[in-house]
Amino acid sequence: MKKSSSYHRYLNRTGWRFITPAMILYIVFMLYPIMYSLFLVTQKWRGMSREFVGLGNFVRMAQDQIFWKALSHNFIFMLIQIPLMVFLAMILAVILNQGIRRFRGLFRTVYFLPCVTSLVAYSVLFRILLQSNGLLNNLMLNLHLIDTPIGWLNNPFWAKVTIILALTWRWTGYNMVFFLVGLQNIDSEIYEAAEVDGASKIRQFFNITLPLLIPVILFSMVTSTNGTMQLFDEPNILTNEGGPANATMTVALYIYRQAFVLNSDFGYASALSYVMVLVAGVLAFIQIKVLKERK
Amino acid sequence: MAMVRRRLSPAKFILMIFFVAGAVISLFPFIWMVIGTTQNPNDVVMGKLAIGDQFMKNWEWINKTYSVLLFFWNSFKIAIVTVGLGIVINALAAFGFEKYPSKGRDRVFGILLLTLIIPQMAIVIPMFRQIASMRLLNTHTAIILPSVMSVFIIFFLRQNFKMFPTEIMEAARVDGAGETRIFFSIVVPAMKATFASASIYMFLMQWNSYLWPLMTILSDEMKTLPIAMSSIMRMYTIEYGGLMILVCISTFPILILFLAMQRQFVQGLMGSVK
Repeated sequence: MKKSSSYHRYLNRTGWRFITPAMILYIVFMLYPIMYSLFLVTQKWRGMSREFVGLGNFVRMAQDQIFWKALSHNFIFMLIQIPLMVFLAMILAVILNQGIRRFRGLFRTVYFLPCVTSLVAYSVLFRILLQSNGLLNNLMLNLHLIDTPIGWLNNPFWAKVTIILALTWRWTGYNMVFFLVGLQNIDSEIYEAAEVDGASKIRQFFNITLPLLIPVILFSMVTSTNGTMQLFDEPNILTNEGGPANATMTVALYIYRQAFVLNSDFGYASALSYVMVLVAGVLAFIQIKVLKERK
Repeated sequence: MAMVRRRLSPAKFILMIFFVAGAVISLFPFIWMVIGTTQNPNDVVMGKLAIGDQFMKNWEWINKTYSVLLFFWNSFKIAIVTVGLGIVINALAAFGFEKYPSKGRDRVFGILLLTLIIPQMAIVIPMFRQIASMRLLNTHTAIILPSVMSVFIIFFLRQNFKMFPTEIMEAARVDGAGETRIFFSIVVPAMKATFASASIYMFLMQWNSYLWPLMTILSDEMKTLPIAMSSIMRMYTIEYGGLMILVCISTFPILILFLAMQRQFVQGLMGSVK
């Protein structure tokens, strides 16, 4: 008995020993910054000096037009780009799984390729591609699809379209692979039975495939929502610092600019980042709720 | 005719065209970035799709202003050191959480998962002040240290350690092996594929990271590839051909890694599907 309890203690100590290095880093680079931000958020920087403003930063935020604009852009990108991409990814996967069997592996690999590029590299590429006198405009002019070049980067509306197109290019194949995995888990006997009953391919899709893919759809939406909330690299590089005239400004980019480009105001930047945590928390809560309900 | 026994139906033919078009769109930027390295800036922008003869000129330009190989080395060194430290530290933690169950550690793990939802952008603002006060600004240590510990990697590894039979550990204990030895000489060799996936994921994240290095790196000789590319984009006249060389050098190592280890690569990226 005595031996077994000392053995138990030994194992328990080993467990703590194994997690110690990670926990030290976690405390220094996660918990401490979180605590420190509680202090930062009450401060206002003026040059090198700072003063206590309490909740002043949040009051300022409520009246900050650019902040609200940035937040609305995050939601615009979420509400338009994510459904578009998830739908496209699902359709591609379904066709690849049933319609086209030739070259399936090759298509899968090729469609997945865009997401191996770094966010910076593909933002650079798209920015060159979409100049007013750039490749895409030239191609479309030559094919007589348009009469005048489209301002992909300098028209407030088209700049948003640019971000949506770029995101779709990079992430559709990535999401498609999730759907392919999901489709492979569906028992093919269900389709055979439906075939015997004379159900058309389209009926099969709506009555069998779609309901069984809902967990994958939710998963895709959840991961994409998190990514879109943190959108930074694309508006900073592709549309040149959230331009034109803040038309593609996002919350993450605005935080960065407050701290490093505009005012070096770390207090206000911290206050802004609390909003991001809040939104991320609410989204996570909704996601967990929805996933639980499914079960 | 025997050769066309399996003719495509019209519907399938249209689908096929649709898929080939998609494949061209996916692939085009990769081909274009290679062609771009050989052209003068004007041709790159206009999208002339022919191999030019400007490669040496572009190479010289980019190396006159910057050192391409130094950026490559900086990126590579930072990513490799992060993976090396990170895999050991995160794997030990994941192993400790999974194979030495205790209420206390479960509670700690709960806290880790809770903070997983905090976006990176929210952490980097206070962390920048902290790194500055540690006098680490403009060092590679500043990039490496905060990304070594990853809750996501610990979670991923822990999920995989669940599959490792505890009986084998007990048998090794009877044979007199210490816990650290059990981990390094029995568990690690048995789970190579898992470690490969986690390493690839960490490497990719660090190789591509932009936001945090952008904040902490100030001088040219410390820059990584993404930072170098973004600072060239901010110049008044951009030598696009030279820029394309950087884009290629940043993209192709990952592309090769992906093509060589597709399975582990995809598994790493999709680690959270389970």
